Amino acid sequence: MPDDREISELISQSMRKRLSDKEEKQIEESVGENEESRKLAALSKRINDSVSGITPDENTESKVPLPADVRARLSDTVSCAVKEKLSLPTAGLISDSRAAADTSQFEVDPTRSLDDYKEIVIRFQRIRKLATGGAGEVWVARDEKLGRSVVIKELNSQAKESSQAWDRFQREAEITGLLEHPNIVPFYAFGVDRRTGEPFYAMRFVGRRTLANAIEEYHDRAKAGRADGLSLHRLLNIFLDVCQAIAYAHSRGVIHRDLKPENVAIDNFGQVVVLDWGLAKVMEESELALKLNDNCNMTDSSLMCTTHGEVIGTPVYMSPEQASGKVDLIDTRTDVYGLGGILFSMLTGKAPHVGFADGKNSKFSEVVTKIADASTPMPSDFVKVAADLEAICVRALSRKRHLRFDSAAELAEAVENWMAGQSNKKIGYEKLRMEGREMRADMQSQVHDLERNVSFCSSLPPVQELIKAESDEDQKVWRKRMSTILVGLMEANPGYESLTYGKFEDDSSYTEIVKVAKHKGPTKAIRTMPKSRLKTEKQSDFLLKVADGLPGELLTALVCEDESEDGCGNFSLQSGIPVYDQETEEVFGFIVATRDICQILEQQLGRRHTAREIIVASDRFNIISQKVDGQLCEDNRGQNTAHTAPAFTAAIEHLQNNLDFNDDSNSEIYGARIWFDPGKNGLMFLLKH
Amino acid sequence: MEELNPETWVKDYGDYLYGYAYSRMRDANAAEDVLQETLLAGVKYSGQYAGKGSVRGWLIAILKRKIIDHFRSRKKHAGASFGDEDDAFDPSTVLFDQQGNWKPGTFKWAPSPENNLETSELSDIVQDCLKGIPKGHADVFVLSVMEEMDSAAICEQLNITPSNMWVRMHRARLGLAKCVSEKWGVEVDHA
Repeated sequence: MPDDREISELISQSMRKRLSDKEEKQIEESVGENEESRKLAALSKRINDSVSGITPDENTESKVPLPADVRARLSDTVSCAVKEKLSLPTAGLISDSRAAADTSQFEVDPTRSLDDYKEIVIRFQRIRKLATGGAGEVWVARDEKLGRSVVIKELNSQAKESSQAWDRFQREAEITGLLEHPNIVPFYAFGVDRRTGEPFYAMRFVGRRTLANAIEEYHDRAKAGRADGLSLHRLLNIFLDVCQAIAYAHSRGVIHRDLKPENVAIDNFGQVVVLDWGLAKVMEESELALKLNDNCNMTDSSLMCTTHGEVIGTPVYMSPEQASGKVDLIDTRTDVYGLGGILFSMLTGKAPHVGFADGKNSKFSEVVTKIADASTPMPSDFVKVAADLEAICVRALSRKRHLRFDSAAELAEAVENWMAGQSNKKIGYEKLRMEGREMRADMQSQVHDLERNVSFCSSLPPVQELIKAESDEDQKVWRKRMSTILVGLMEANPGYESLTYGKFEDDSSYTEIVKVAKHKGPTKAIRTMPKSRLKTEKQSDFLLKVADGLPGELLTALVCEDESEDGCGNFSLQSGIPVYDQETEEVFGFIVATRDICQILEQQLGRRHTAREIIVASDRFNIISQKVDGQLCEDNRGQNTAHTAPAFTAAIEHLQNNLDFNDDSNSEIYGARIWFDPGKNGLMFLLKH
Repeated sequence: MEELNPETWVKDYGDYLYGYAYSRMRDANAAEDVLQETLLAGVKYSGQYAGKGSVRGWLIAILKRKIIDHFRSRKKHAGASFGDEDDAFDPSTVLFDQQGNWKPGTFKWAPSPENNLETSELSDIVQDCLKGIPKGHADVFVLSVMEEMDSAAICEQLNITPSNMWVRMHRARLGLAKCVSEKWGVEVDHA
C-alpha cells in the first residue's frame, strides 16, 4: 500500500492522467480512510474547476482593468505601428500589363521631416511564370525603371489564405535579404503590391538552368561513354561553391533545410547560386535571429520554430531527423546531410531516397517513414564510383548526426582534398598504365623475335636436305651444318632453352633429328644432342597443333612443364612451325624453339616501377611471376590468383574479353592482356598502385 | 466580414485582453508586455485576418501564443537559478513526515456542501496563491489547467521532460491546496 506522499502524487495525476484500476482503488481507499487525502482530492478538484479555461467576464466590469497610463501608451504604440505599416519604403506595384503605374505618395510620420524619407516606387511587369511551388509562384519580370530582368516571387492563391504561408514568405524574404554572399541569390527588393496588399520580393534573374540539369547532362554523357574525369570535376567545383554558400549561411545562423540540385542555379557565366530559402530555419541564438526579431519588433514563435512532428523538406533528399519530424534535432548537420544528398545525386544521377518514392501511389507519410528508418544509401549500389569519394558522400549522409562532417566547410575541404589527390593520382595512374603497356609490348617483342628465329630456322637449306638425305653420311653432314647454325642462334639468344628439328613419325609421335639445348646446370652450356640421345616421343598438344599448321604458319604458346593438381608452376614459351617436304608437299616435321618465360619476366620485373605490386598470370589464373614492394616474390608461383590476389579479381574477369582493364573509379589497378594464340592462349599483366 | 481597425483595439478590447493576460501572467508588467506584442503583431499581420471569426477571438489567439513565448523566454533567460528555485520549493517537506505520512492538520479547510463559496471567489484566491509558488510551477499549472493544453504540448513549448512537467504540476497542486485552504479558511472565519 503506498504511503500518503505517494497517494498525494496519484491524486495529482488523477486530475489529468488516466490511472490504472489498481491506482484508482488505492486512491479510493486512502480518501475513504484518510481525512487529509480526502481534503487534498476535494481541494484540488475545486481549484481546477475554479480556474479551468477561465476567461474574463465580458459582461461585467473587469476585475483587473487596463491601467489608464498603460492604455494611453498602448494606443500610441498601435497608432505608430499602423502608420509605419502604411509607409513601407519598398512598396511597389506589380503590373500585368503596360498600364501606367500608380505613383501616389506614401503616408509619412507627421512628426518627422519629409527630408528624412527617400520614397521609391518600383514597377515590375510580369513576363512569364517560371515555376509554381508549394506556396509561391515565381515569375520572370522586368524592372521598368532599370530595364533589367528580375525574378519576383509571390504567394500563390492557395497560400494567400494561410497565415503560416504569409509568415514563411516574409521570413524567406527577410533571410534572403540578409544573406549576402556571391553564391546566394542577390536580393533586390521586398514590398507589398499597393493595389492588392499582397507581399512579393524581387531577386536577380539567374536563368533557368539548375544543378539538376547539369547532373542530368553529365550522366547522359556518361551513359553515351562521353563523360570524362573533367566533367565530374566541373560538377564537384559547383558542389564546393554550394558548400561555401551554406557554410556562410550557417555562420549567420541560418539552416537551409531544403538542399537539392533543383535549388541550385547556374547562370550563363557559370556562377553558382543557392536559391529558395523558404524553409530556412534561423537558429534562435544567432545574430540574425536577433536582427530579424528587431525588425519584427516581436518574438513570433510560429516563425522561429517549426511545430514538433512537422515534416519539412523534399522527401527524396530529406535527412532522417527531418523525416521523423524531430525538429529539435535539426541543426547545421541537417544541411550537411542535404549537401551529401546533392553529392550523391552528382555521383549517381539519382536522389538518395528515390527508391522510396518511385511508386505512383506512394503516400507522403509512408515515404518519410521509410526514409526515417532507412539505412544510409550507397552510391556504388547504382554506379561505379571512386571508393574514397563514396566514403565522403556516405559520411555526409550518415543517419547519426555526430557521424557526419561537423560543418559544410569540413565537407567542402574533404571533397577539395579528394579532387587534388585525384589529380596526383591520375598522373600516377598514367605511369602505372604506361608500365603495364611497356611490359606487354616487351613481351610481344620477345615473342616476335622467337617466332622470327623459328621461321628463319625452318628456311635453312639443311632442313630440306635432311628430308632428302638417304645415306647416313649425308645425314651426318646436314645435321652438323644445321646444329652449327642452331648453336649460333642459341648463343645469340641467351634466354632460349632449346631449338629442335623433329620429324613426325605418325599421328601421335615424333623423332628428334637435330636438337640444340642449354645445359640445365649452372654452366648453362649450349650443346648439340648426339644422335644416340635423340628421342622419339609422344606428340604434345602443342606439337599436334603445329602439325596441323599450313606452311610457314607459326604457333606460339605458353606450355606447362610441371602440371599439378593446383595448376601449373613452371611454364615455358614455345614457338613452332611445321616443316613441309617441298617435293611431296606433305608435312614432314617441325622446328620448335623453347624460351624460358621466367627469364623474360625476371628481366621485366627487375626494372624500376611505380607499381606497388605486379603479377603476371596465365590464362588458367596461375601466378607465373610476382613483384611486391620492389621485390620479386616466388612464394606464390603457380598459385591461383583468386586465392592469393583477390584485389585483381575484377581486372582478371574483364581481361577475359578485353585487352586492357582501366580502373576509372579508383585509379588503383591496371591490367593488360597479351594473346599468343588469339583468344586462346596468353598472359595477363596486373599492376597495382 | 468584420473590418480591422487597429486604432480602436485598445479601446474595444484592451480591458478584456489585459484581464486575460494578467490572469495567466500574474504580473502587471508582463501582462502589459504581452498585450503590446499582441497588438503590434496584429497590426503587422493584419493582412492575414481571414474574417472568419471575431477580431477579439483573433487577437486572443495571438495573445495566447505570446503568453507561451513569454513563459518559454522566462524559463530560458532565468538560467540555473530558476531551476534551483523550482527544485527548492517542495511542499512535501511541510506536508509529510519522514515516513511519508500526512502531518496532522495539514489542510485547515476543505470544501464541503454546506460551506460552498462562489467559484469566482475561489478563482481569485487561486490566482492570488499562484503568485506565491515558483513561476516555473505556476506556468505549468496555468498552461495545463487554465489554457487546457495537453502534456506533450507543454513539454515541447517549455522544453521540459514529461517527468519534470509532472513533478512541477504535483508541487503546484500541493502548494495551491495548502495556500487555498489557509486563505479560504481565513476568509470564511471572517465571514
